[in-house]
Amino acid sequence: MFDTLNEMGISNGMITSMGITIFLCVVAIIAGRNLKLVPSGMQNAVEWAIGSLYNFYEGIMGKEACKRYFPLVASLFIYILFCNYSGLLPGSGHISGLAPPTASINCTMALAVVAFVSMIAVGIGSHHGLSYFRHWLQPFAFLLPLMMLEDLVKPVSLTLRLYGNVYGEETITSVFFDMLPVGLPVIMQAFSVLMGLIQALVFSLLTAIYIKEAMPEDEEHL
Amino acid sequence: MGLIAIGAGLAIGLAAIGPGIGQGLAAAKALEGMARQPEAAGMLRTNMILSFAFMESLSIYGLLIAFLLFAKM
Repeated sequence: MFDTLNEMGISNGMITSMGITIFLCVVAIIAGRNLKLVPSGMQNAVEWAIGSLYNFYEGIMGKEACKRYFPLVASLFIYILFCNYSGLLPGSGHISGLAPPTASINCTMALAVVAFVSMIAVGIGSHHGLSYFRHWLQPFAFLLPLMMLEDLVKPVSLTLRLYGNVYGEETITSVFFDMLPVGLPVIMQAFSVLMGLIQALVFSLLTAIYIKEAMPEDEEHL
Repeated sequence: MGLIAIGAGLAIGLAAIGPGIGQGLAAAKALEGMARQPEAAGMLRTNMILSFAFMESLSIYGLLIAFLLFAKM
């Protein structure tokens, strides 16, 4: 079945990404099916995870911004985390239908475009119009090309950072596997447990910071 | 052919020097801050990881160039 899909141009990463999406949806539906005031089991676990994520982002974005944009950054974090960890499953990248989606530049670029567009949208929305782009003219008008470049390079660096890390890790693990199949790849896999978490955190953290920077300064004190 | 291999090795090797030094300095200062003021450890850790990400992306660019050269061989 997967081979037919591959011939149609649907890569293994896309199939895995679809599987992750369905898995996350099922978890969310099961956890939120009958909500109780005193949570137990699944609801408790999910509430704890979301609660600690919320506290983390509240410390970075501030109360008001976090309340509004927490769903975006937290979804990015959870999705990228599961994408990175799908590279740790047995046979990932070598059997059909299973490959880490973030090891493909198309996936990370799509995520970076989402982050960039939401940054611009938040900036225009919270400044009530195009006065958001006035920050390109500050502190000096002749720095305009430089300031534009600084903004435009953000999605590129988000893309390349996530893609380079995950793809590099996958490649290095397979090179280690070719060198010595027993023992050596385990070290790299243990390392990539940590790296997968940090890269997901960094991507969503940068998105959160970009969104916060796009908002006007005085919003915080209201 | 041989030059491409040398280039690929140099690309990631040289790209690792700067971020290596930078991350070492940043980690040293952050740990110093954490030891001096343990109650600020959470905030310091977050900012440390964030600054690591910026430094690391430089050596990731080098790694990408190395892979591109490697694919040319």
